[in-house]
Amino acid sequence: MGPLIPLDIIPDTWNNVIAVAIGIAFGFIMEGSGFSSSRKIVGLFYGYDFTVLKVFFTAAVTSAIGLLYFGYFGWLDLSLIYIHPTYLTAAIVGGLVMGIGFVSGGYCPGTSLIGAGIGRIDGMVFTVGLMLGIFFFSETFTWLEGMYEGTGFFAGDFLGYITITEYFNISPNIFIVGFTIVAVAAFYFTNLIRKRVKPVNY
Amino acid sequence: MSKTYFLLGALLILVSLGLVILPSSENEDKVPPEKLLTELMSQSRFLPPDMVAARLIDEDPSILLIDVRPVEEYSSYSLPGALNIPLADLLKNDWQPYLNQNSMDVVFFSNGDLQADQAWVLSTRLGFKNLYVMEGGLNLWFDQIMQPEKPPASAASEAFDLYSFRKGAAQYFGGGAPEQVSNKQSGENIPIIRREKKTVAAGGC
Repeated sequence: MGPLIPLDIIPDTWNNVIAVAIGIAFGFIMEGSGFSSSRKIVGLFYGYDFTVLKVFFTAAVTSAIGLLYFGYFGWLDLSLIYIHPTYLTAAIVGGLVMGIGFVSGGYCPGTSLIGAGIGRIDGMVFTVGLMLGIFFFSETFTWLEGMYEGTGFFAGDFLGYITITEYFNISPNIFIVGFTIVAVAAFYFTNLIRKRVKPVNY
Repeated sequence: MSKTYFLLGALLILVSLGLVILPSSENEDKVPPEKLLTELMSQSRFLPPDMVAARLIDEDPSILLIDVRPVEEYSSYSLPGALNIPLADLLKNDWQPYLNQNSMDVVFFSNGDLQADQAWVLSTRLGFKNLYVMEGGLNLWFDQIMQPEKPPASAASEAFDLYSFRKGAAQYFGGGAPEQVSNKQSGENIPIIRREKKTVAAGGC
């Protein structure tokens, strides 16, 4: 049956309309979970608030389990799902840039827009920084191109459209069970940590 | 930790464990019936014997002939280079590397095209690619390639080209004598009229 748009059950022209609707719902729920506060988000790094970990781990586990069940019942053709290609060095460097920006600015790109949307000044400043980053990346693209496309010095970086379970040749179902157990264990232990740490008012 | 969180955590683990307990899915790696029917209705899987013959003569490396008849029939006669996979053994693992690949065109054939078509349906159902059936099987092969019928004199020149190709193919595959090509040209048989020498009367009165 699914995916709905690649199989043309929903026409391609509805793509942007659906994206806007999902975007509004996403922003609304993120704001409701307190993700418009940079201090709440960086609480994960300093160890006084683990909401970010709980929300994202729950989202990942729920959708992964749901996708596997949908695929099993034949509601969704998992071979048609888009898988992001892996460029090794680019992923590591990009992850570092993202992580440093995350912990120093207190936002990730999406939440900075939520912060700006409800009028937080740090969110607006972060959004401007985001745009500047895009500008500098575009201007220096000719230097970074090899890393971006896995050519030249970075040849062999491109690992294709692989997933972790394909790379290590394990069953996705077993991997997801392990992932779920790790997630629930993480919820439990972060709860213990949060109780021991001196509460922070923000 | 509150009771609700404990219950939700336990539920998450239970649901994920369900993924492991599930029996292996039946529609895995198989072609759904609707798609199979569409492919079955399309006649594009049939390759005429002429096309198979042309590719064999050209020594096309991308063609893989598979004889689905029983071993005895295969050993008495088969097409050159054909591999014997009797229909009954089609699903054996030994043959998977030949059938489940992307680089070659697999052509099934049998005496008619019924058994070959059955092999085609089974293999298509398993999701294998580039599968064909030789139209009419070996019977049509014999009728068309090994013992081609000479087109009537009034036929189009294409029919004669096809006929000469088939004659050549028959010779290539070891059968049929080359056609006796007569080089007679009109005008050759014109009788030569010899003039008799005029004898000059000798002597006189």
